[in-house]
Amino acid sequence: MIGWVHPGFLLIIGAFFVPLFKGRWKKGYLIIPPLAALIDVVLMYTGAFGQIPYTSWHLPFMEYELIFGRVDKLSFLFGLAFSLASVPVMIYSLHVTSSSEHMAQLVYAGSALGVVFAGDLISLYFFWEIMSIASMIVIWHGATEKAHSAGFRYIMWHIAGGVILLAGIVMYIASTGSITFNAIGWNSSSTYLAAMLIFVGFIINAGVPPLHAWLPDAYPESTVTGSVYLSIFTTKSAVYVLARGFAGFGPLMWLGALMTVYPIFYAVLENNLRRVLSYSLINQVGFMLCGIGMGTALSLNGATSHAFAHIIYKSLLFMSVGSVLFRTGTAKITDLGGLYKSMPLTCAFCLIGAASISAFPLFSGFVTKAMVVQASALGGLALVYVLLQLASAGVFEHAGIKVPFFTFFGHDSGLRPKEAPANMLLGMGIMAFLCIFIGLYPQPLYQILPYPVDFEAYTAPHVVESLQLLLFASFAFFLLFTSGIYPPERRTISLDTDWPLRIIGGKFMWFLREPMTGFAAWMDGGIKRIASDFTAFGEEKEERIFIGISVMLALLFLALYLIIEILYRWIF
Amino acid sequence: MDPILAVLALLGIVGYVSLFLGTAEPRHRHGDLFLTIVAFSLIVMVIAGLFIDWPVEFSWQDTTAFYAIFGFSAFTFLIYAAKVLRLWLSKEEDYYEKKGV
Repeated sequence: MIGWVHPGFLLIIGAFFVPLFKGRWKKGYLIIPPLAALIDVVLMYTGAFGQIPYTSWHLPFMEYELIFGRVDKLSFLFGLAFSLASVPVMIYSLHVTSSSEHMAQLVYAGSALGVVFAGDLISLYFFWEIMSIASMIVIWHGATEKAHSAGFRYIMWHIAGGVILLAGIVMYIASTGSITFNAIGWNSSSTYLAAMLIFVGFIINAGVPPLHAWLPDAYPESTVTGSVYLSIFTTKSAVYVLARGFAGFGPLMWLGALMTVYPIFYAVLENNLRRVLSYSLINQVGFMLCGIGMGTALSLNGATSHAFAHIIYKSLLFMSVGSVLFRTGTAKITDLGGLYKSMPLTCAFCLIGAASISAFPLFSGFVTKAMVVQASALGGLALVYVLLQLASAGVFEHAGIKVPFFTFFGHDSGLRPKEAPANMLLGMGIMAFLCIFIGLYPQPLYQILPYPVDFEAYTAPHVVESLQLLLFASFAFFLLFTSGIYPPERRTISLDTDWPLRIIGGKFMWFLREPMTGFAAWMDGGIKRIASDFTAFGEEKEERIFIGISVMLALLFLALYLIIEILYRWIF
Repeated sequence: MDPILAVLALLGIVGYVSLFLGTAEPRHRHGDLFLTIVAFSLIVMVIAGLFIDWPVEFSWQDTTAFYAIFGFSAFTFLIYAAKVLRLWLSKEEDYYEKKGV
């Protein structure tokens, strides 16, 4: 054994060798870092101690000890999800030739693993910030004007979140004297403010409304493969830190429940498929945060397993929409329809992702989400239960029906693109296999959850409840769609909570650009005029005489002053 | 997993995909067949619900076909709510560009 190797470092260091390879060699090389990270994480599980070992790298950092490698059940689960998803996503992106894009994506994935395995708040913050920067570069690779400005807006949100988090961390360390990252003490009055700052830093990355607007703004602007990466890491690493730091924090349950409902209305209205999926992502993270906030063993198991399943089916959905974008050049519903005839495999994979996210029995979402919903029922939380069920119907509307139906069925657009390239199909195929595998055989996933699982998803009430809800929701869709009540897609965007920021921010930038620049130009001109008057002064003979007399007078006054001063001191 | 539940689940997923094939435009030549499958799956789910001992965490759960009614009404509510929200929230694609921000 060579001891513990950080899987995130395998990806980050691996990223810097990408430019050395070209053509076929590059494709061969690219798969190595994610595969190595996956093997690394899996070996951690079957480690030398027979059980999950607690191993650490210790670095002296001032008077504290940084722990880069805390491996327990919770971090292992998220580490496995991240590294497992990285492999098919890399296969999906093998056709991309840009080295810098691959590098940014690998560093992004590596830093997310760094967050997951960080055992203390300082190294957590370190990886947190790398993740922000790397993800911004992933967005910028969209290489459009929109992607560029969306990336700037994205990083402004995350810098604000990072500064709030850092302030919280510093205050927390100052009052507790320890940098260890475990449950954050929101109950004690001495650490309450620090805990709340850390909480706000975390929920900005989780995309909790109203602090979520960066997500549907920026994620759809990245490249085909960039969006898939973005859908995995930032929000789920925030779910991880909330599960570790704020399990059982009551307000989080309500934030989560509202977070499942808020985006479903937007997802109905959006025309851009990747933006629909971004809102859907917020809704799904809501289920996780709600489970974390409830804080029971069942709800925490539900939240973390839902994160695991979600990483797989959400990236599958982003991949299938990405394939359509790759082949047709558009991800707008108004331009798409009828693609099942020429892209049958992509369509099938999209349907598997859609069935998983909608929690159809036999698919992965069913065996995980049921735990969160069940926990709310057992806790007697009627309102939370109803909100979660309403959100389930909402998920089915946008991710289960809208995305596959209007892309692959719906009104035939006449487009007959080729099926997605082989590497994309393979990447999607692995994800689709995992969705069905977890759905049919959830025991391996249940075994690695933080708490022992005493839950059976496939009971008669669960199965029939889900099928009734889903099928009758689709019946409602059928009636609304065929009667023309279902809102037809239009080429629109929807205003979200960033509207005031963007308008005020835009006006502020205009103020800087127009009046302030004009004022600066006027000042500049004025100063130049005065300066040129000064430098030109003295070129004439009379002026020189004037200067000479002025200087002599000044010296005379100075001398007089000195004489008076000396006499005064001498006398008194 | 109980074989009956597995059959129900399979019927559910078949009904789900059939709905898409039956609703796509222009009509699939087996469109009516697909819609018949959908109708069949709906009826089966309601009947299946009658034979189940529903848990009673909440009193409403043993209402006949509660989740069918809930799914249908939640979906309809969502669509109508979105239609209203669209009046305020939906803007032209170049809304922000036109505002110069």
